[in-house]
Amino acid sequence: MNAIDRLHPTVMPVYFLAILLVAMFVSNPVISLLALLGGFLFCMTQCGLREMRAELKFYIPLFLLMALTNPLFSHNGVTPLFFMNGNAVTLEAITYGAAIALMVLAVLSWGKGFGRVMTSDKLVYLFGKAAPQLALMLSMSLRYIPMLRRQAKQISRAQKVAGMYSTESYFDRLRSTFRVISALIGWSLEQAVETSRAMRARGYGLKGHTSYSNYHFRRTDALLLTLAAILLAVVLVGIGMGAVDFAYYPAISALPHTALSVAVYTAFGCLSLLPSCIELGEQIRWNYYRSKI
Amino acid sequence: MKKDILIIFCVVLVLAVLIMGTDFQSVDEYYLMHLEDITPNSETVTLSIRCDSVLTHMDKLDASLHDYIPSDGVILQPTQYVLRPGDTAFDVLHRAVRSRKIQFEYQGADQNLLGSVYVQGINYLYEFSCGPDSGWIYLVNGEFPSRGCADYALQDGDTVEWIYSCENTQYPQGGDGT
Amino acid sequence: MELLQVENLTFTYPKQTTPALQDVSFTIADGEFVVLCGASGCGKSTLLKLLKREIAPHGEKQGNIRFSGVAQSELDERTGAGTIGFVAQNPDGQIVTDKVWHELAFGLENLGVPAPVIRRRVGEMASYFGIQGWYHQATDALSGGQKQMLNLAGVMTMQPKLLLLDEPTSQLDPIAADHFIDTLQKLNREFGLTILLVEHRLEEVFPIADRIMVLEAGKLICNGTPGAVAAQLRDHPMSRCLPSAARIWAGLSVDCPCPLTMREGKDFLHTHFSHRKGAAVPVHQPILEQPVIEAEGIWFRYEKKSPDVLRDLHLTVCRGEVFSLLGGNGAGKTTTLNILAALDRPYAGKLKIQGKPIGDYSKNSLYRRNLTMLPQNPQALFLKQTVHEDMEEIRKSIPDFNGQVERTIQFFAEKYAISHLLEKHPYDLSGGELQKCALVKLLLTKPSILLLDEPTKGMDAVSKAQFAKQIAELQAEGVTIVMVTHDVEFAAQVSTRCALFFDGEIVSAGTPNEFFSDHHFYTTAASRISRGLFDNAILCDEVITLCDEK
Repeated sequence: MNAIDRLHPTVMPVYFLAILLVAMFVSNPVISLLALLGGFLFCMTQCGLREMRAELKFYIPLFLLMALTNPLFSHNGVTPLFFMNGNAVTLEAITYGAAIALMVLAVLSWGKGFGRVMTSDKLVYLFGKAAPQLALMLSMSLRYIPMLRRQAKQISRAQKVAGMYSTESYFDRLRSTFRVISALIGWSLEQAVETSRAMRARGYGLKGHTSYSNYHFRRTDALLLTLAAILLAVVLVGIGMGAVDFAYYPAISALPHTALSVAVYTAFGCLSLLPSCIELGEQIRWNYYRSKI
Repeated sequence: MKKDILIIFCVVLVLAVLIMGTDFQSVDEYYLMHLEDITPNSETVTLSIRCDSVLTHMDKLDASLHDYIPSDGVILQPTQYVLRPGDTAFDVLHRAVRSRKIQFEYQGADQNLLGSVYVQGINYLYEFSCGPDSGWIYLVNGEFPSRGCADYALQDGDTVEWIYSCENTQYPQGGDGT
Repeated sequence: MELLQVENLTFTYPKQTTPALQDVSFTIADGEFVVLCGASGCGKSTLLKLLKREIAPHGEKQGNIRFSGVAQSELDERTGAGTIGFVAQNPDGQIVTDKVWHELAFGLENLGVPAPVIRRRVGEMASYFGIQGWYHQATDALSGGQKQMLNLAGVMTMQPKLLLLDEPTSQLDPIAADHFIDTLQKLNREFGLTILLVEHRLEEVFPIADRIMVLEAGKLICNGTPGAVAAQLRDHPMSRCLPSAARIWAGLSVDCPCPLTMREGKDFLHTHFSHRKGAAVPVHQPILEQPVIEAEGIWFRYEKKSPDVLRDLHLTVCRGEVFSLLGGNGAGKTTTLNILAALDRPYAGKLKIQGKPIGDYSKNSLYRRNLTMLPQNPQALFLKQTVHEDMEEIRKSIPDFNGQVERTIQFFAEKYAISHLLEKHPYDLSGGELQKCALVKLLLTKPSILLLDEPTKGMDAVSKAQFAKQIAELQAEGVTIVMVTHDVEFAAQVSTRCALFFDGEIVSAGTPNEFFSDHHFYTTAASRISRGLFDNAILCDEVITLCDEK
């Protein structure tokens, strides 16, 4: 019951890039806040409340630290609060630090949610569009890594019980790790020979390779992409016309609130909140249908 | 991972404070500046700060700075200041902007690659504020000195001009640009 | 109609003087189910690989292989890859991609089949093989049985006419193996798929095959119906591999057709030996003293929030016992071994090894001349270029071995007949050989407790018989052995006591004769065949003795 997860793999990256582009290059506090709000809600729908609460323990100190670090290095601004070693600590520098921190948090939370949505399957599919060989290699590595890890555990346990380097001393542990790694290299070469044999047996290397995926580009995907494109266009036009220009130095400028800037805020807000809304809508619909049963 | 990021931030913060020191002054304390009265006997230099080249390059200027450029491009009219023994071009500038409460930011000699004090911004006007080639340079008696402003000892009667240039910062503040 | 024809095939590996295959000729008709068997190293794997051009080994080859009348070298690439399917022994080694669905589609992608057709065929196969439930899963998360089923399904999507399988069930537990064989039989019956199966566990496949072929030292010595082959092998060492019913028949001189299935075996005994009804194998209670492993109330789970794997486990093993733990997958058998070897720590309970709490063994003193474990995958014990180099390392684990290492290695090598393997690379050994070398390596530490995890996995009947002998010798020397196994027949043969593990605890235990006679399902074939006629008979030899007694 994850609506975002059902989307075609091309939709989310395009969407993600659009949000990132705007959030990173527009220094308007309203835009940053909207991006953070959208990213945080999106993360919440993907990772759950509990995980986000844990995430806050990282976000809040990071926010404070970034806000405090900026005035140490930047002394511009018309409102000095006090002087430190002959350099002004200004209100503008602190505000700017906070604004940058807001933007970083927004990017982080979007990145987290995006990472959750873009499963290895989807990444492999996207790579496959660009370079099929690379996609197969990626898929094979994803298969190998857990296998290697398991084999490493087996070897180190077998060696330990055989009495090899099994004391707890630092030197023994180092030696044992080294031995396991060198044994793993031999093992993986052996495994690679076997796999390549299995691949040949199933016709790998024949001309005219096709590629198969479980994904369909559905009407919802097209709809969503179009909607995102329209919203992004409004935002970009507004930015181009300077509707949301905002400066922190030398003085914090007044928040633009013309009709156009309000339109840009609204469009970006919609864009940013779209995935969470889709997800929440799905949840509500689901509950509604279930209550009907 | 996340903990590491926070720790790195904290370490940077603490190091920065340790290196720069913790000399706190209130705004009034900082600007409270004793200037010697000029007597007929005292050695003096003349200092001026100008940014008139911005006026011809307004299209390149940061939009937020329009209100902070004087209409005649003069931030400090040519003014005489008492020359204290050992005063450099930087010392006199520093004294002047403090007494006039002009916003000022510089990099210490230990903070940049020039190995010399570098003036980043005066009156909110910073390097690169007006195009990629813009920045502060200085002239002594109409010539570009080949030394950093904190290494240039002034002499009685010198005329120092701090000029905001929009085109030529090839020799930033007297250094050889390296 | 002949699908596959092999004429006078002789094959020699490079740098070898004796051929691996000598003058082998046979044909397989469309729709046949043929089983190829033979001892390890008889050349059966080589023969199978030669039949699939894409993976044929290098070497000198004479004779002809024809597929549907076309010489193998003339086959076009797509036919070669697609119409002859191959499933190998190791379930892990054959899986190429990270997701189940991708694995199913892999062969078809290579053949250049358009995506909509792939979708249909993959869907069809996933439904037929019962894969829908794990279609989107990572291949790594599958069990061994599921992996092998996936390999089969991945080959079947390419719609082969001939399926070659190289000991596909040797790494699987008995339930997964049965399921796999059932699926093969179904494919053969319902779709007329031609199957050539190399197998050493013949109990299940022997009765369902149309034809059995037996290779010995590269020569085809038998080629006929199961009944005929069983009769032919009656006095041959290979008779050990036959199904229990046929083995009992082979051990008795009764002139009648050879029984193959369990039911036929039962009928055979009742027809010819009903006068012996009520005969019983005498039960000897083992004398149990001097406990060396005492576990009381052991509780274990892998993670704080995961369910308990062991629940209140009580286990006492005495000196000189061979104690077998049997039970399904995930019942906690291997976990128990890991706890006995101090690799995992229980969160509650007491565990004493040789009367000393396990926590009191400092550093690696537990593993010095005391306790050791043969892992399920013995390859993990060998890290060096040769077996000998690996064995020499024992010097490091037991420092007071001065000067005697070489002599000890030679002594054990001769005793276990592995001298000719010492200079080989561990990866070049067969499963049985590797197992033997691993055992010798562990015995160098002179352990008094030996833990074995699935020791007979992938072993043929001959190696198994040798291994049983070694276990008996170790037992006579006073070594205590705790073994986890799925191999009911083997456990019945070597154990002092057997125990059934279920849901994290031992639910029944006893001497093999009591234990297997009490169980109706979890028991040996011989016990099932002789049940109702004899009491306590669990091995073919015991049944034969009871029949023969006057």
